[in-house]
Amino acid sequence: MASRYDRAITVFSPDGHLFQVEYAQEAVKKGSTAVGIRGTDIVVLGVEKKSVAKLQDERTVRKICALDDHVCMAFAGLTADARVVIKRARVECQSHKLTVEDPVTVEYITRFIATLKQKYTQSNGRRPFGISALIVGFDDDGIPRLYQTDPSGTYHAWKANAIGRSAKTVQEFLEKNYTEDAIANDNEAIKLAIRALLEVVQSGGKNVELAIIRRNQPLKMFSAKEIELQVAEIEKEKEEAEKKKSKKTT
Amino acid sequence: MNSGVWEEVGCAKLWNEWCRTTDTVHLSPTDAFCVFYHLKSNPSVLLCQCSCYVAEDQQYQWLDKVFGSCPRKNMQVTVLTCRHVTDYKTAESTSSLHSPFLKALKTENFKEPPCCSLLEQPNIVHDLPAAVLSYCQVWKIPAILYLCYTDVMKLDLITVGAFKPVLSSRSLKGLVKNIPQSTEILKKLMTTNEIQSNIYT
Repeated sequence: MASRYDRAITVFSPDGHLFQVEYAQEAVKKGSTAVGIRGTDIVVLGVEKKSVAKLQDERTVRKICALDDHVCMAFAGLTADARVVIKRARVECQSHKLTVEDPVTVEYITRFIATLKQKYTQSNGRRPFGISALIVGFDDDGIPRLYQTDPSGTYHAWKANAIGRSAKTVQEFLEKNYTEDAIANDNEAIKLAIRALLEVVQSGGKNVELAIIRRNQPLKMFSAKEIELQVAEIEKEKEEAEKKKSKKTT
Repeated sequence: MNSGVWEEVGCAKLWNEWCRTTDTVHLSPTDAFCVFYHLKSNPSVLLCQCSCYVAEDQQYQWLDKVFGSCPRKNMQVTVLTCRHVTDYKTAESTSSLHSPFLKALKTENFKEPPCCSLLEQPNIVHDLPAAVLSYCQVWKIPAILYLCYTDVMKLDLITVGAFKPVLSSRSLKGLVKNIPQSTEILKKLMTTNEIQSNIYT
């Protein structure tokens, strides 16, 4: 049945599916994992770095991009689609600042991106954007925000979420481990993001990229060394927890 | 396969429109065809690595040539194959499926319990693995097929890991060597596939 209703974006199937949009969600699953965590005073974005070819310049393969000084996003899915969406979002951020003399709120720019994505699910001759995005930042009121958009053009606010390959595994991990204690301070939130990623990243800390925004501070990308330090701390904590467990059972 | 444990004993060469080579006379075993190996320490264990598409009209001849030359008594066959998860038909929502996952299909004469759940209707197995299983069912050879539904197009560590329960089945347990570096070796084999196209990030 699907094959008769999945060729054109503007055709509903008899049971109400827009198959092209659903297939676009499959394209998102082909991108590597990205995780976003909203702490009390910090927002964290962690991504699984794509393995770079030998002759490729690593700096040009980025999954985390700043949209403005106080907003940044990570995406999963088609690289070229992401580039287009990011460019439109960046232009909109500046245009908004010039028009109303205020920086965009995270919700505004998320709604802009989501509306853009939705437009492409309703015109013929175009296909939906094959990306999901995690947008994080702080508004003027100092409240941290995390939003997720998907190819259908919906957006929702989240406390923590993951997109891309193995997103489900990471989401389950977050559901179990996102507690008030886990985000009690900034360092704990960062560690939670790394731990969530290490659940699915196959080659450990060296394939993880991390970015944070603290209240009233610009985006900070972690260097490989800083990530290594965090991973080492996490491994130590894990060992201590195992030791305690084995002591209890003996 | 070049770890020195397996020795190549033969290959099946065939040509159909899906093959990427046009020279069918000078085929080397490294071309994408079917190669047979046996375990040096136990020559009664045979392995066939099939990396080409065997067309429907060639399957019977392939089976006849391969199985015809082996004694059919005391033979047990295990088939490992993969399929994309979007081919899996189920009443559950696809977002609740944890891919990769394993499903099994066995012949009547296979008496051991499989290491995963059986493949439910209306799902079917395709191509050569299906032909092998059908042949074994007709000739009353105990055989089991393990089908891994995965959501990636290229082999990766997680998909290969999904086959791990198969190593604990009774028929294969005797062959399993517990190497502590097995995960490292697997990782090395998989990293060669990781540099994918730049389409998806």
